[in-house]
Amino acid sequence: MLPKLPRETLLDLCRRMFVIRHFEESLVPLHDKGVFGGHYHLYIGQEATGVPALSCLGGDDYLFTTHRNHGHLLARGADPKKLCAEILGRVDGYNKGKGGSFHTVVPSLGFLHTSAVVAGIIPLATGTAYAAKALKNGRITVCLFGDGALEEGAAPEALNLASLWKLPVLFLCENNGKYGAGRATSAAQSSTMAAFPLTDLPKAYKVPAQQIDGLDSGTVHATISQAVEKIRRGEGPQFVEAQTVRWPGSETNWPSVAQRTDSSLAWDVSGVPEKVREWYRSCDPLLIFIRELVDAKQATKEEIADIERKVKAEIADAVEFAVASPYPKPEEAAKEYFA
Amino acid sequence: MVTKRENPTELVPLLRTMWLIRAFEEKVSALYAMREIRGLLHLGIGQEAVAVGTCSLLRTDDYVFGGHRSHGHAIAKGADINRLMAEIAGRATGYCAGKGGSMHIVALDAGFVTATGVVGGTIPLALGAAFAAKEKSKGQVAVVFFGDGAGQAGAFHESLNIASLWRLPVIFVCENNGYAEFTPLSSHTLIERLARHAQTYKIPSNTVDGNDLLEVREAMTKAVQHARTGKGPAFVECLTHRLRGHYEGDPAKYRELSELAEWKEKDPIARFTRELKHRKVVADKDIAAIESEARKLTEQAAQFALASPWPAPGEVASQVTA
Amino acid sequence: MREIAYYEAKFEALNEIMAADPTVHLINGTFLSLSPHRHVYQELANKYRDRVMSPPISELGFCGLATGAAMAGLRPIVDISTGSFIFEGWPQVANEAANAFSMSGGQTRVPVVFHLFHGLRGGGAAQHSASPQAMLWNNPGLEIVLPSSPRDVKGLLKTAVASDNPTIFVDHVQLLDVKGDVPENDSPIPFGLAHVKRKGSDVTVIATSYMVQRCLQVAERLASERISAEVVDPRTLVPFDMATLMTSVEKTGRVVIVDETHQSCGVAAEIAARIVESGFDKLKAPLRRVSTLDVPVSYSPPLEDYIGPREDRIIEAIRAVLR
Repeated sequence: MLPKLPRETLLDLCRRMFVIRHFEESLVPLHDKGVFGGHYHLYIGQEATGVPALSCLGGDDYLFTTHRNHGHLLARGADPKKLCAEILGRVDGYNKGKGGSFHTVVPSLGFLHTSAVVAGIIPLATGTAYAAKALKNGRITVCLFGDGALEEGAAPEALNLASLWKLPVLFLCENNGKYGAGRATSAAQSSTMAAFPLTDLPKAYKVPAQQIDGLDSGTVHATISQAVEKIRRGEGPQFVEAQTVRWPGSETNWPSVAQRTDSSLAWDVSGVPEKVREWYRSCDPLLIFIRELVDAKQATKEEIADIERKVKAEIADAVEFAVASPYPKPEEAAKEYFA
Repeated sequence: MVTKRENPTELVPLLRTMWLIRAFEEKVSALYAMREIRGLLHLGIGQEAVAVGTCSLLRTDDYVFGGHRSHGHAIAKGADINRLMAEIAGRATGYCAGKGGSMHIVALDAGFVTATGVVGGTIPLALGAAFAAKEKSKGQVAVVFFGDGAGQAGAFHESLNIASLWRLPVIFVCENNGYAEFTPLSSHTLIERLARHAQTYKIPSNTVDGNDLLEVREAMTKAVQHARTGKGPAFVECLTHRLRGHYEGDPAKYRELSELAEWKEKDPIARFTRELKHRKVVADKDIAAIESEARKLTEQAAQFALASPWPAPGEVASQVTA
Repeated sequence: MREIAYYEAKFEALNEIMAADPTVHLINGTFLSLSPHRHVYQELANKYRDRVMSPPISELGFCGLATGAAMAGLRPIVDISTGSFIFEGWPQVANEAANAFSMSGGQTRVPVVFHLFHGLRGGGAAQHSASPQAMLWNNPGLEIVLPSSPRDVKGLLKTAVASDNPTIFVDHVQLLDVKGDVPENDSPIPFGLAHVKRKGSDVTVIATSYMVQRCLQVAERLASERISAEVVDPRTLVPFDMATLMTSVEKTGRVVIVDETHQSCGVAAEIAARIVESGFDKLKAPLRRVSTLDVPVSYSPPLEDYIGPREDRIIEAIRAVLR
């Protein structure tokens, strides 16, 4: 189901989803060729959660994200050039190469700090919410994390604080494994999380919580806009678990692209390698969104292909810019660690 | 209430142990006031039914873990009160040779593994003992005592999750005395019953009147049985009250006097005594004898402790690593 | 000059800070540990109900909350209280707050203060007696402050709150009743400015926190034996004032460093290394450290008394460097 939004807005959401997809697919060969090192995590497969969800926020709201942050930054309008340069550790990156894929921050977009510790940001998000409440500036905080983060003690501590002090914060848990980070076993839904459903955790703290289909952009948009409204009304924290299906390229230790995305796949996956074909046929949120746009006559296939073409060119430019950007001077490492 | 399952003659020793804990802690308090004992001291006067109700169902080879308020748990598990008193007094004859003190009791001979000065600090440790017990397959269980304040600590949640996932034979005993350090539980969390968290992690739980020894025993019997027979962890929340401040010297101005008076009414020893008298298991003279015996034993423990030598200063460098 | 107690100076500072800056919030604790003076905190709590918060026992949660609030325009002061409890909130202090500014390429400022009481307190045993400042000094991105007098606690606390960096404010319960001169309307004390607490010519005694008070007493005693000890207090470890220290070292050529962290990789070890690196040739005798022994803190009074930088150990060290 498409979000109930004007056509122009829907096409903008479509464009942002393409930006995330093509940006991240372009990173993989760069890493494979050694253009950048280090571990990195991709957002592919979760575009229908992040893009509509973040479109519900105001310009000066706060966001916290984790090691899987590229999608959130791009959904919020980050410049692919500066993001790519940061991931490549270049001086033109958002953090001058000091943060990298794990830690890109863009304060002008509300991202103040990005932590690579799975639950690291959850207490921090209660902090910006606490500050906004104290300063009465009307800002809310969105805390974006994966299902694994709930296994760390920081999560329940922060949920309790948010509930106790009625903080204006939205906890958006993107569950890309459906049953927690662990394997399903005969005894439990997950080998790493006993709580099931995950929404039981926030509910114990009297934080209203719901579970939604994170592949369905319309549900995401409707749920998040309602939750945001409640938070703005002063009702305290809200929790949403959006379930997605893990992109096959993220199942391996290092991301791999078995199939470059093209909008034509929305209608024909026969050319997709068989081992990943099912995902592209039924679980790819971007392709689902495109089909819905066309089925609802909000866009023609040609219009979509045109959007995609422009995005691909933009991403190619971004990669070129980042690769050409110099590394920071080594001695910069010893500078600017105090304000 | 005395349930049919309870054999009356088995109940008298429980009263004895409760009195022993009470007399012991009152003696500790007196020694502290006389400055014979220094340091941070947390007493559990008024919470004896939880310690006794739980430990009376355990085997010596079951593992018990305490917190900062654990003199009673150690005594109930069978720790020697002379060595316990000596430890609290910081003497060489103490359980930890004076190195641990009130918050860090270890009485391995009685299966009291360790206590902690960190709220909730032993909860993950109890998982470990349960994990080991499971490996050894001798039907041992681990029991960890903690207060309601620990419920807001992340380690508590991580432990419930792992215990549930791995079906560890551990019994979580939450002594919900309504105050986390100096503030009422309501200023720490919107959750009134900590057993709610056990539900989240699919652990069977029960909330009982922690000042009713027999109610504690009944819930604990089921919990211990559950853990011992390999069915995994159990959680028992005991609603109780400490009759002293958070630590000795705490004026506890945050509590209403009427609240304290109400809880004194519910004193677990007085209640259990009334019950035993009602059942004609004991007479007044027996009760007086039990109390005076407890006082005599703790007096002897105090004498033993205070007559014991201080540890030699050079001992600090010993036993740093095994 | 006006003489007041350390705890009074500390509360004067907190009061003035709270009155001057509505973005300062106090989170957790009483800033006085279990001292009998706790009631003065209550006055503050009553006066600023919305800005004095009593959180659950969730150090991870509230250390992170304060850090996040600092990112978003507040200047929170967190009371970790017993220094050992910082280990419960360590991930947020050491891995989030300390790294945020650098990781963001200098964009995100974290003006948070983590206040704690370190050291031997009398019966704290191994889990209530930590001095975590040496570990924290090994974790770049944190400013570290250790006041030793009423005037310093007031002036340094103001600077800590004004700083745009995460700051560890290391206090000591044994200082709370120390009396000293604190002028009315005193200025904040800048970080990175060591202070010569007592002038002397024979030996430089570098001391931190409560050890400054102990060393001043020792210096007084030794004066009767015509040993002139200069007592220098770095006051902040990060930033660190090497110049003032070296001026004294060049004058006396003899150095004893007295500090309550454990000896190995401790505060005294780092200061010793810096002195040797920049002025080995100025030393007339090998320098000496007096630190807490490398053992967990024992409970029993004679054991606890034995392991710290005792007066007799300090005197012995001074005599040794004068030999």
